[in-house]
Amino acid sequence: MKALILVGGFGTRLRPLTLSVPKPLVDFANKPMILHQIEALKAIGVTEVVLAINYQPEVMLNFLKDFETKLEIKITCSQETEPLGTAGPLALARDKLIDKSGEPFFVLNSDVISEYPLKEMIEFHKSHGGEASIMVTKVDEPSKYGVVVTEESTGKVERFVEKPKLFVGNKINAGIYLLNPSVLDRIQLRPTSIEKEVFPEIAAKGKLYAMVLPGFWMDIGQPRDYITGLRLYLDSLRKKASPKLASGTHIIGNVLVDESAKIGEGCLIGPDVAIGPDCVVEPGVRLSCCTVMRGVRIKKHACISSSIIGWHSTVGQWARVENMTILGEDVHVCDEIYSNGGVVLPHKEIKSSILKPEIVM
Amino acid sequence: MKALILVGGFGTRLRPLTLSVPKPLVDFGNKPMILHQIEALKAIGVTEVVLAINYQPEVMMNFLKDFEAKLGIKITCSQETEPLGTAGPLALARDKLIDDSGEPFFVLNSDVISEYPLKEMIEFHKSHGGEASIMVTKVDEPSKYGVVIMEESTGQVERFVEKPKIFVGNKINAGIYLLNPSVLDHIELRPTSIEKEVFPKIAAEKKLYAMVLSGFWMDIGQPKDYITGLRLYLDSLRKQSSPLLASGTNIIGNVLVDETAKIGEGCLIGPDVAIGPGCVVESGVRLSRCTVMRGVRIKKHACVSGSIIGWHSTVGQWARAENMTILGEDVHVGDEVYSNGGVVLPHKEIKSSILKPEIVM
Repeated sequence: MKALILVGGFGTRLRPLTLSVPKPLVDFANKPMILHQIEALKAIGVTEVVLAINYQPEVMLNFLKDFETKLEIKITCSQETEPLGTAGPLALARDKLIDKSGEPFFVLNSDVISEYPLKEMIEFHKSHGGEASIMVTKVDEPSKYGVVVTEESTGKVERFVEKPKLFVGNKINAGIYLLNPSVLDRIQLRPTSIEKEVFPEIAAKGKLYAMVLPGFWMDIGQPRDYITGLRLYLDSLRKKASPKLASGTHIIGNVLVDESAKIGEGCLIGPDVAIGPDCVVEPGVRLSCCTVMRGVRIKKHACISSSIIGWHSTVGQWARVENMTILGEDVHVCDEIYSNGGVVLPHKEIKSSILKPEIVM
Repeated sequence: MKALILVGGFGTRLRPLTLSVPKPLVDFGNKPMILHQIEALKAIGVTEVVLAINYQPEVMMNFLKDFEAKLGIKITCSQETEPLGTAGPLALARDKLIDDSGEPFFVLNSDVISEYPLKEMIEFHKSHGGEASIMVTKVDEPSKYGVVIMEESTGQVERFVEKPKIFVGNKINAGIYLLNPSVLDHIELRPTSIEKEVFPKIAAEKKLYAMVLSGFWMDIGQPKDYITGLRLYLDSLRKQSSPLLASGTNIIGNVLVDETAKIGEGCLIGPDVAIGPGCVVESGVRLSRCTVMRGVRIKKHACVSGSIIGWHSTVGQWARAENMTILGEDVHVGDEVYSNGGVVLPHKEIKSSILKPEIVM
C-alpha cells in the first residue's frame, strides 16, 4: 500500500526553527515531525511513502536514507518545480501511487499530528464503497476553517463550506485522506486545491465519505499550536500508559525525556515538557509546557515555560523564558536574562532582556 | 605576495540577505562583496588569498572555484573550528601566509569597502621599516569606534583607545593591515583580538605605523551602512570617470545597471542605485538610493527608495518601498502595497502594507 505526504514549501510559519532544517524534520516530542506519520503508515502496512516537496530536497533525502533503513519502508521524494497546491502533487506523483493492485492510497498533510487511526479508516473506506474517504475532526471555532457538512449516519459528504459565517457544522478537514486510484483521473498537473476543486466534484457524485477522527488532532505548523499539540500528544501517551513518559519526584504531569538527556538535582519538570537527546538540565531548573531540542543546556535555576528551545542553544543561570519564546538553533541566552516571547533567529546571543514579544534577528 | 581576508561568522547583522548566502557573497555594487577585495589584491600582485571563515565553507568554496579560474589567483579557505577573534585566524593560517620570500602579507576585514590604495601602503610600509602597517580613516563620530593615536609626521602609532569618552583623535582602524611575517610570532592559536592584544604590543615596541586612507571607507556589514556605502562607492566610480556608470535621460546621479538588466519607458533611476543582472524594471518606475539584486522584477509605477531588494524578489505595481526596507531572497510585494522599513525574510509574500519598521518572518 502506498502513501503520499504533502510536505510543501518553506515552512515560514515555523521559523526560526525552519531556518535550520526543513519543516518535516523539525522535532516534535523528540522525533522529526514526519517520522510520526511515517511510523503510523508503516504500522498499518504501507510499503512506500512518497514525499511531495518543493524545497530543500537534498536535506530531506539525506535524512530519509536513515529512516528507510531503520524503518524498512521505501521513501521517495516527488519534487514540485512550481507549487502545485494541495492536489497537484498527487498528479505529479501518479506513477508512484498506483500500481496493478488497484489499492487505495493515503494522503497526509505533513503539519498534522493525531492518533492516526488508519486501520479503522481502511475499514470505513471498504464499508462505504465510495471513491474517497477523508478524516474530519471536531473543533470549537469552525469559522476559522473549511467545514465539512456530512450526513450524520453514513458520513457521506454533502458539501464544503470555507470559513462559514453562520454555523453549518463543527467538523473540519483533518488533512488525512484515503483515495481510490480513480481520484487521480480527476486531478490535472497544475496548481490545484483538493478541497476547493477535487473533493467537491467527488462529493457531488455522492462518492466522498467523512470519518470523525477519534482522539486528538492538531495542525502544528505554527509555534502556538505546536505547544498545544505537544500537550495533546503527551496526553494521548498517558492514556495508553506509554512507558516513554518520565516519572519521578521531580516530574509533574506528562513529560518526555530522552534517555541520553541529563537532569540535575532539585529540578521540577512538567507538565507537558519534551527534553531531547543530549540535553543537560542543570540543578534547580523549572520547565513547564516547553520543548527542549537536541543538545540544549539549561543552566542552574533557570525557569522556562510555554516556549521552544532550539537545537544546541543554552539558557543562562536564573534566566526566565516564557510566553512563546522561540529560540532558533545555537542561541545563547545569558545569565539572568528575561525573555517574554522573544523569537530569536539562529546563531545569536541574547545579552539583554526582551520585555515584549519581538523578533531578534 | 599573500593576503588573508577575515570573513568570520554568521553575518547576522546583514540578515535577511545572509539567510540566503554567506556574507562575503552578498552582492554590493553588482558583485559579491568579497570580489571587490580580491580584485584589489590581484591588481597589486597578490597571488594567493586565504579566507578565514567559520561558517558555510562549502558554499564559499563553490563560488571561489569560479573566481579562481576567472581571476587567475589562488583562493583557499582557512576554517576556524571555534571563533578565533580578529588575530587568532592569522595563527591558524600561518603556513599559508609565510613562505621563503619573507614578504609582508595583507590582512583585510571582509566587511570593508574602500579605495584600497594597497600599492601606496606597500611603499609606506617599506619606507618606515617597521613590523606592521595599518590603514586608518577619519570619522565624524570616533567615540563609537577604536581610535588610533599616532604621531602626525611619521604615522608611528602611540596607542589605541577603545570608544573614547573624551576626544583623543578622529582616526579609526580601517581594517586593512600589512604585516611582516614576524607578527605571526606574536599571535597564539586561540581567540585573540588584533586591536586589543597584538597591535598594542607592536606599538609599544614602536614598530606599528598608521597610514591615513585616502578616499572613501565604509563598514557595510549592516543595511544602513550598506546603503551609505553604495553612495560612496558610486561616487568614487564617478571620480574615476568609470564607464560602468549608466547615463541617459532616465538616469539621475550615479547609477550602476548590469548589461543584462532591462529598464522600461518613463522610469527615473537614481541617484545611488545599483541594478543587478537579469533585473526587469518595468515602465514608470522610480528608484533612488537602492540596490536591486539579481533577477528582481520591479513592476510598473512602483517607487523604491533607501532600500535593498533581494535576489529574485518582485515589487508590485504602484507599490512603495522606502526607509530601509530590506527584502530577502524571493520576496513578493503585492500591487499597491506600502512598506515603511519592512525587513522581510526569504520566500514571503507581502499582501498588506507594513506601516512601521518591523521584521516579517
